[in-house]
Amino acid sequence: MPRTTKADLEAERLLWRAGFGPAPGEAKRLGRLGRRRAVEQLLAPKGRALGGRPARIDGGPLDPVNAYGHDVLWWLDRAARTRHPLAERMTLNWHDHFATSNEKVGDVKLMMRQYWLLRNYGLGSFRALTKRILRDGAMQMFLDLAGSEKGSPNENFARELFELFTLGVNNGYTERDIREAARALTGFTFDYDTKRFGFDPDRHDRGVKRVFGKRGRFTPEDIIDLAINHPKHAPYLCEKLWHYFTPLPVPPRTLKQMVSTYRRSGTEIRPVLRIILTHPSLYADLTSPHQVKPPVVYAAGMLRRTNTRIADESWIHLLDEMGQRPFHPPNVAGWDQDDAWLTPATISARFDAASMLVQKRVKDGSISASQSPQRAIAAARKATGDPQISKRTALAMQRYAVASVKGRTDDWEVKHYFPERQRVLRHVLLAGPDAQVC
Amino acid sequence: MTAPRRDGCNDWRMTRRRVASQAGRMMPIPADALDGLAEFERQGGLTRKNLLERGAGLVLMAGAASALGPRAILESAAAQQAASPNGAILVSLYLDGGNDFINTFIPITDPQYRQRRKRIAIPADQILPVSGSSEFGWHPSMSGIAGLYDQGKVAVLPAVDYAQPDQSHFNSQGYWQRGVVGPTLDRTGWLGRTLDLIGTRNNPLQGVSVSWGLDPTLIARKAPIGTVYEPSYFGLGIPEVWDGKGFTKLYREAARGSHSRARQAVSQAYNNAFRMVDMLKPLQGDPNKLPPTPVEYPDSYLGKGMRNAARILGAGLGTRVLSLSRGGFDTHDDQPDEHTELLKDVSDSVTAFQADIQARGLADRVVVMIWSEFGRRPDDNDGNGTDHGAGGGLMLVGNRVNGGIRSEFPGLTSLDSDDNLKVTTEFRTVYASLLESWMGVEASKILPKMDSRRLPLIR
Repeated sequence: MPRTTKADLEAERLLWRAGFGPAPGEAKRLGRLGRRRAVEQLLAPKGRALGGRPARIDGGPLDPVNAYGHDVLWWLDRAARTRHPLAERMTLNWHDHFATSNEKVGDVKLMMRQYWLLRNYGLGSFRALTKRILRDGAMQMFLDLAGSEKGSPNENFARELFELFTLGVNNGYTERDIREAARALTGFTFDYDTKRFGFDPDRHDRGVKRVFGKRGRFTPEDIIDLAINHPKHAPYLCEKLWHYFTPLPVPPRTLKQMVSTYRRSGTEIRPVLRIILTHPSLYADLTSPHQVKPPVVYAAGMLRRTNTRIADESWIHLLDEMGQRPFHPPNVAGWDQDDAWLTPATISARFDAASMLVQKRVKDGSISASQSPQRAIAAARKATGDPQISKRTALAMQRYAVASVKGRTDDWEVKHYFPERQRVLRHVLLAGPDAQVC
Repeated sequence: MTAPRRDGCNDWRMTRRRVASQAGRMMPIPADALDGLAEFERQGGLTRKNLLERGAGLVLMAGAASALGPRAILESAAAQQAASPNGAILVSLYLDGGNDFINTFIPITDPQYRQRRKRIAIPADQILPVSGSSEFGWHPSMSGIAGLYDQGKVAVLPAVDYAQPDQSHFNSQGYWQRGVVGPTLDRTGWLGRTLDLIGTRNNPLQGVSVSWGLDPTLIARKAPIGTVYEPSYFGLGIPEVWDGKGFTKLYREAARGSHSRARQAVSQAYNNAFRMVDMLKPLQGDPNKLPPTPVEYPDSYLGKGMRNAARILGAGLGTRVLSLSRGGFDTHDDQPDEHTELLKDVSDSVTAFQADIQARGLADRVVVMIWSEFGRRPDDNDGNGTDHGAGGGLMLVGNRVNGGIRSEFPGLTSLDSDDNLKVTTEFRTVYASLLESWMGVEASKILPKMDSRRLPLIR
């Protein structure tokens, strides 16, 4: 087995935190660049966005618009095949931040349009991104912007804009600010017959509003600017971004640095990510990881590690049961991260996911009784992308590799139990406790 | 231009299904593969101290409930304890989105009711009577719960909320779930903290979130909590692997030891999952066949959830707290039809559950608490719906519940500064009363800065 260096471990950590884990050989390649250049490559990806072959279900391509759950498979497939890991991961992060659920929107096309918005603009200016989100059909449906009109403004979007998208709960605004902002956010329309979103000046409240102590005939875009120019915005957003990459607290000096970089750049996201991804915190405790892999990262990661393309609809239900179904966040606050991912039920779904990648891979009768425990372990590691494991897992695997075939000497036993050993060893490498964290 | 149809800004909770076909590939794990379980079973998942505490609590409750002499009280308490060693059970049922309590338990004699609700007032001839009250009536969908009310098994608490109510789903929901009003860094839920106090570290089914994701109300500091919507299919198996004992041992060994906090959380989840598989083994099999329920449950996410809750309770696994939720109550528009459907689902599910646990001999041990993060505005809106309001309402259902109207309704004439119902009772007072008179724990240990006000909610 090739020796694992610190650079490999760092690259592996980076690919998990800022992407969906390494494909075989990817960590080694990235590790050779060194931390800084590796991060630059992620920040400015070049070439084709996707590698490998696209998912196929029942011999046909995915049909995200019409087939139940294929929207989820479509997202997972892109994550599993991405060659632009950070851009793809940030799309998932923004989907959590600007959480919009098709449970309410009820239109996959609108949801996919929002996906492309987040994917195409997710590394640029946050101000521009938020202004696009304001005009995004799925969001307008989800938070009742479309149809909100002068005289009876709907407060939903205004509230979440402050509470979740730009400032944080109870962080520098009042109920009155929400009500006034909601007035400024009136005028958006949706025509059910033509399926068109629009803006009707006659339905927009052109009166003077008072938001954050400022008075004016604010337009919807003005409200976004007011929120983003609010002194509490930059620290809130920078800290939130930080926590997408590490559960460790952000050092006050780093936060200050991020905030001033963010402001100086005119709300650019890339420079903030650069600070986070090159920060020593991200590479702390390389052999004792802090982050629980979010389900989409975990699932895409196991597909990448095993070079597998999606060919089974079970992934829809598995992701659902793991607690993260793209296009269906649990609420407008997105998904609870870290150990909130883990319950006996979600861990059993994570366990089942590995079964998908183990079954029908090793046929009975395909391994002879001469295979040593060491060879069995080496083969399992190779088949699963040679993941990092703890000493305890390594020891438990060695014991299992010996005990599982002990006394299995009859022909039928050899035929079944040597392959069974291989299935179980792969399974624990894919879903064991070590595989859940990064 | 038509206004977009709003299913409600909180109608995001999805119905998750485990594909039935997956059940086939689960292999049972031999009980002896689970080290430490035999000892756990001997303890019945409960400590000696808790048993003693519960025993005392039951004597007091029996005393309060009946006119029996002290000797009979002691005997009945002992019998109850022998039959059911695990004590009182609380079921939390959350109506997600803000239930319109004004149209649930309707102030029929309030002249403002029809004034303020020109579009969505329930026609008088459809409203169901509330026995013993001329002031209120039930929504027509609530016949099941109305019937239980007539039997004295339902306490209704209108205008329950908290002072200066916040109309954000996110905030209000969090306050109710945590039992703390205002921002806090503590993520734990009030029922999770209750289990920290009365539960054990090794029974993952002492608190069960009957859902696909853990209900935040049940987040505990140290007590393991089970999340299981469908116990029939709860299992851990690997296809084409026959030696369950072997891989279980491998997994359990790999899950041992102390690492980072994240890694510890993973290990804990795995260990409890393996333990749960074994505990739920008696419930494995086709849920439509086993076990028969005495009544028909609605064929809905909630109906099945309530049925599964009854099955879990029936298996005697030491469960003390269960939680369920029903989404869709954020009825900003087109309320009448939607609300009718929602309340019917809730009423029918709870009524079926009540009959089911009665048949299982558990009904004296269970109280169901039905709550929502807020009520809705007394004035309806021009979308035939209602916006976020305050002073929602709570209902308690159970044999031991002190039936009747148990909080003050402030009327629809004098409203608060946001044109919402005035709050007469803080929800934490209800929690505290239940904790003390039902769960037998001191409320101040669970609810920070709790005053001494209590309500007579349990007989």
